[in-house]
Amino acid sequence: MPNIIACFKWVIDEAYIRAGSSGELDMRSVNYKLSDYDRNAIEEAARIKEEHGGTVIALTVGIPGGTKGLKDALSRGPDKACFISDPSFENLEPSQTAAILADVIGRKLDYDLIICGEGSSDLYARQVGPRLAETLGIPCISFVQKLTIDGNRIIAERKVEEGIEVTAAPMPALVTVVPDINNPRIPGVKDTLTASKKEVITITKDDLSSAYEPTLRTVSMTAASMERNCVKFTAEPSDITAFIEALAKEGVLR
Amino acid sequence: MAGVWIFAENLQQTAELLSIGSDLASKLMTTTSAFLIGNTDSADDCIAFGADEIMELPALAGDQPLDAYIPVIVAEAQTADPDVFLIAATVRGKDIAARLAARLKTGLCSDCIGVTFDEGNNVLEMDRLAYGGAAIQKVACMTRPVMATIPPGTYKPAPQQSGRQGTIRELQAPQPSPSTVLERRPKETQVKDITESRIVVCAGRGIERKEDLSLVQELATALGGEIGCTRPISEEAHWLPEELCIGLSGISVKPDLYIGLGVSGQVQHVTGIRDAKVICAVNKDENAPLFGAADYGIVGDLYDVVPKLIEAVKKAKA
Repeated sequence: MPNIIACFKWVIDEAYIRAGSSGELDMRSVNYKLSDYDRNAIEEAARIKEEHGGTVIALTVGIPGGTKGLKDALSRGPDKACFISDPSFENLEPSQTAAILADVIGRKLDYDLIICGEGSSDLYARQVGPRLAETLGIPCISFVQKLTIDGNRIIAERKVEEGIEVTAAPMPALVTVVPDINNPRIPGVKDTLTASKKEVITITKDDLSSAYEPTLRTVSMTAASMERNCVKFTAEPSDITAFIEALAKEGVLR
Repeated sequence: MAGVWIFAENLQQTAELLSIGSDLASKLMTTTSAFLIGNTDSADDCIAFGADEIMELPALAGDQPLDAYIPVIVAEAQTADPDVFLIAATVRGKDIAARLAARLKTGLCSDCIGVTFDEGNNVLEMDRLAYGGAAIQKVACMTRPVMATIPPGTYKPAPQQSGRQGTIRELQAPQPSPSTVLERRPKETQVKDITESRIVVCAGRGIERKEDLSLVQELATALGGEIGCTRPISEEAHWLPEELCIGLSGISVKPDLYIGLGVSGQVQHVTGIRDAKVICAVNKDENAPLFGAADYGIVGDLYDVVPKLIEAVKKAKA
């Protein structure tokens, strides 16, 4: 019965980001969400538990305000959550996130399998999973679209450019999953109520064995500008004609 | 020793990275070194593309994954201390780059789409997309080596120069790795590559039934273009192969004309059509975000609009 850790990140929902007038990001009306592919990671952990038994811990690192994310994650099936939290964990870069996770996992948690999303919705650097595996010194199979537990090993179908690479690795191991792997459940009212009763282990910066300094510095974050005409037509025949004429004028109808 | 290092899975990608790699090497007044995987035939080509040194990685056993090379590469990097390490952002490349960066305790810019050298401060600044493509994040690596993964196709291959000299060195064979490849299954169907298509008509969530894709195809045919789709059509409904899925996690297209039919226009999708010359949208929801990213939009039900468009296009081309 495997002990599984599913990692997740509570992120800004990019759909609410607007471009400011001078190219800055307007974050005034943003909302937060459980990073898209981390839902697949948690779902896969819950699915394996349903099939093989064991336990699932949802693990995250972030600022103390991210408690809503814990409840969201716990409503998707994990038994308990572990929250590594500090006000300074606002904009961690991937090497820091991976190092902090490895510190806590290596010293405090029992595990056979770690599941991460292939990348987070905000930075989508796709580094944390592989870095975490390497730091813990365990095998890593990334970009997995199908996962099977086979005794003491995992068999993973990995999605690569030319097709599928079926790879086996002994546990403990880490996988990162692509969204094709499953359809994450939509938590119901009961799941949300149960979630609030589940245990949350909180770990602070003082519990870590080192201060992990960044290796990558963000110099700037600006809106990706796209200047377009934004001319609108209706479905009326005269407008359809005008639309086609506009395309002809652009020289794109040949 | 130092230098700009390059790791890619094939010669085409290596030539692309040598283009930006040689440029950086001359600015940093150093040399370029390229890894070559189990193929001694291309060493001379690589040197002609601009590599000063070739590090040959002996071929892997059939069941060894590419990441078996990680310890060999780490050992070389710890000895030679490169300044910069560029890796082609393929699936395996991204994985290997992150793991190398962890071992070398350094920073990595993932999916770097542009590099500038700030001579005054002696810093490489690297651009990448964030927030689904809504933002450009400029980063600088504060540790050695400066690492980046660069998507294939970002740079044109370096021109071949005849008469270039370079050294070739064979590295040690990789040790057996804990992971083994049990099977490699090639893709079942070959799908037409639309990344270079001149006209792309894209099917979005507004398409209600699989049969209705014929309507999309008919417009594409009338225009002399190809059909593409958004994520819900390929990944959720499985109506079209994922090779046609346009967006941040799919393909990027740069046609003269893009028409999105029932495409809402999530930022991840729009990122994949950013380089289109003319963007058009047909959607019954006048607040669909794609209208904000389009040159021309038609607010209307695609089931009403598309037949009219097909007719009008045929007439215009007649």
